Amino acid sequence: MVQSAVADDVFYALSNSTRRKVLEQLAVGPATVSELAAPFDMKLPSFVQHLSVLEQSRLVKSKKEGRVRTYEIVPDRFRVAEDWLSARRQLWEARLDRFDQYVKQLKEKE
Amino acid sequence: MNTMSEQFTINPKLDFAIERFIDAPTRLVWDALTKPEHIKEWYMPRAWGRVSRTELDARPGGIFRIDIALPNGQEVPNLGCVLEVVPMERLVWTAMLFPGYRPAVFDDIPITAIMTMEQEGSGTRYVFTALHRNEADLQANKASGFYQGTEIAIDQFVEHVMAMK
Repeated sequence: MVQSAVADDVFYALSNSTRRKVLEQLAVGPATVSELAAPFDMKLPSFVQHLSVLEQSRLVKSKKEGRVRTYEIVPDRFRVAEDWLSARRQLWEARLDRFDQYVKQLKEKE
Repeated sequence: MNTMSEQFTINPKLDFAIERFIDAPTRLVWDALTKPEHIKEWYMPRAWGRVSRTELDARPGGIFRIDIALPNGQEVPNLGCVLEVVPMERLVWTAMLFPGYRPAVFDDIPITAIMTMEQEGSGTRYVFTALHRNEADLQANKASGFYQGTEIAIDQFVEHVMAMK
């Protein structure tokens, strides 16, 4: 998959508060579907759709033992979002630095 | 050319099909079925919620994504993979796969949806079919309101196509 499609999947997965809360919970440690669903007032089929979206983005992975599916976070995948954001930040910081420099030059000319 | 009957068989114990005659050209029916700006108008029963996001990349392996917003503010995603596209004839997608044919991980009830259309006089014969894994899945989809919701959505679909004329 091309990089921009990967970023689409990751940012889409992050775009929903239910899914972000699931990621916050998984940051603490692996959890089962019913543990993850417990804080939400949501029917299970709707809730597991969110887990599907997270799994598809590969921000999480799961394994099934017997009838119990357990989710855990995939930290590496968060770099897709992080890298994109930090590239934007570097660009803006460089731009601000140059602006700073320019204002200093103007000041010196006065 | 293969006919659809060679490719799949409806088993009434596992599947359901909903058929409508739409008094509109097949071209409009196809557009209403495949274009995001139309899908959002009919896909969700209006009394139950609304479509908050639609992506349909109408080619094999393409993404099928329709998010539903419920009145209580919850959002429910639907994600699948397009399998077959024959313009103005049929569209097939499944929730058994993630986009790009990647084997999906899920704990809910997956369906494969087959939508066919055929010109009939000046109108169009339209059939929506949902294939299920087993009888329990079909019963669960009937009990949960999925079947009823699909019927309402198809009525909204017909209404929307008529308004496009």
